[in-house]
Amino acid sequence: MNPSVDSPEYPPELARLPPGRHGLPREFVARNQRERLIAGLAEAVAENGYAGTTIAHITRHAAVSRRTFYEHFSSKDECFVAAYDTVMTELRQRVDDAFNQEEDWPQAVRAGIAAMLDFLTAEPHLARLSMVEALVAGPVVIERYDAAIQSLVPYFEAGRKGRSAEILAGLSPSTEEALVGGMVSLISRRVFADRAEELEALLPDLVEFTLTPYLGSAEAAKVARAA
Amino acid sequence: MRSRNRTVWDWYLNGIRLRRGRRPGFGTLSFVTSKSTRRPPPGQEALSRDFIARHQRARVIRALAEEVSEKGYRAVTVADVVSRAGIARNTFYENFRSKEGCFLAAQDFAMTAALERVVGAAGEIEDWPHRVAAGLAAFLRYVAEEPALARACIVDALGAAPDAVEYYEESLQAFVSLFRLGRDVSAHGPELPDTLEEALIGGVFWILYQRLLIDEPERVEQLLPELVEFALTPYLGAAAAREVADEAEVNPAGVSGDQKTE
Repeated sequence: MNPSVDSPEYPPELARLPPGRHGLPREFVARNQRERLIAGLAEAVAENGYAGTTIAHITRHAAVSRRTFYEHFSSKDECFVAAYDTVMTELRQRVDDAFNQEEDWPQAVRAGIAAMLDFLTAEPHLARLSMVEALVAGPVVIERYDAAIQSLVPYFEAGRKGRSAEILAGLSPSTEEALVGGMVSLISRRVFADRAEELEALLPDLVEFTLTPYLGSAEAAKVARAA
Repeated sequence: MRSRNRTVWDWYLNGIRLRRGRRPGFGTLSFVTSKSTRRPPPGQEALSRDFIARHQRARVIRALAEEVSEKGYRAVTVADVVSRAGIARNTFYENFRSKEGCFLAAQDFAMTAALERVVGAAGEIEDWPHRVAAGLAAFLRYVAEEPALARACIVDALGAAPDAVEYYEESLQAFVSLFRLGRDVSAHGPELPDTLEEALIGGVFWILYQRLLIDEPERVEQLLPELVEFALTPYLGAAAAREVADEAEVNPAGVSGDQKTE
């Protein structure tokens, strides 16, 4: 059931797998190839931009054959979508974990934003892939990009809970959308200009900006500037 | 320290980055922020011999915008634009190098026109909250009147070439100075974060993007009260912002007309 790596069914690039992984189930190998292709695409796009990336670039970075590429993806676009989804799943998970670790909502917002900025700072190539290249990678990715931004809305909507009637009256239905739109715009302009190193410094500004409608300026500033 | 930084920041955020030489539209910025708004002197307006050429250029730009807003940026070809505009292919290439070039021109065309509207409506209003409301009202009116151009420049720009995305993001910064004046009337102006205006503008345009994405240009003007409230709250607090927003809701024309001083 578990043919050895020498089996002709396996493409030669598997020889590059670390020694301990020999004889792994076919499914794993396939997943592994897929992951390598996704990583290869991320590297290729970082080097050449989306438009300048060819399937040859991707397979070279992934060290797999062209045929293997087409076993997993029908096009560069499709491979990009997979890469985009991988990055966003990871980012979303980190934000979610950070947010859920805090009981107090303003602190949870702060932790969530910090987690997002940390990730994008640590992975500037992936930041570019998900915020810059995604925009020119076709309509499918654009739809996902929109959905990813909109998926941040509930974190802020949670802030309506327990607010006074006066504050709630001042929050229009689109408040949260405007907040996430503003936040993403601040971040993406810096990623666009290759200034990912400035992202972490945005934390207090973003916290203050997003909390102000719920807490008022003074209280929001306090949470934002607390170490 | 902080105020010195702010000068640099202002310069950057204002978006008057003419270094690349393809952002002539931002020259109108000074009209947005200064009190006296006058159109550019007649000498800078078109000479009559340029009129036809300009007219033709505008026609191509509109044709491109219509094509893009119907089919999406990627699917549109120069042939589509040429046939829609009813011009010769040569004429297209006399004006633009490529589809990409034409799209950038469309962005510049729309942004310049929108800023002129904003200036015309808001420039002479002394009271800052009403100035912002009038400016937003004029901008939304322009979007409603030019749905194809607005959709192309606000929605499709994001999926077009990298240059177009960059132009979009940077051109929005033209509004920074108008918003930033709110710091002078805010009780906590000096403490507001440096990036506030950038974030507010990003937020406003994200709402517009969402609304245009689902093809509701005719409903865009209804966004006025909530956008006014969103933009003013950080400076004035929720209650005062709400008051101006309510006025805008009752009389959207009023914020751009009656409040003018003179």
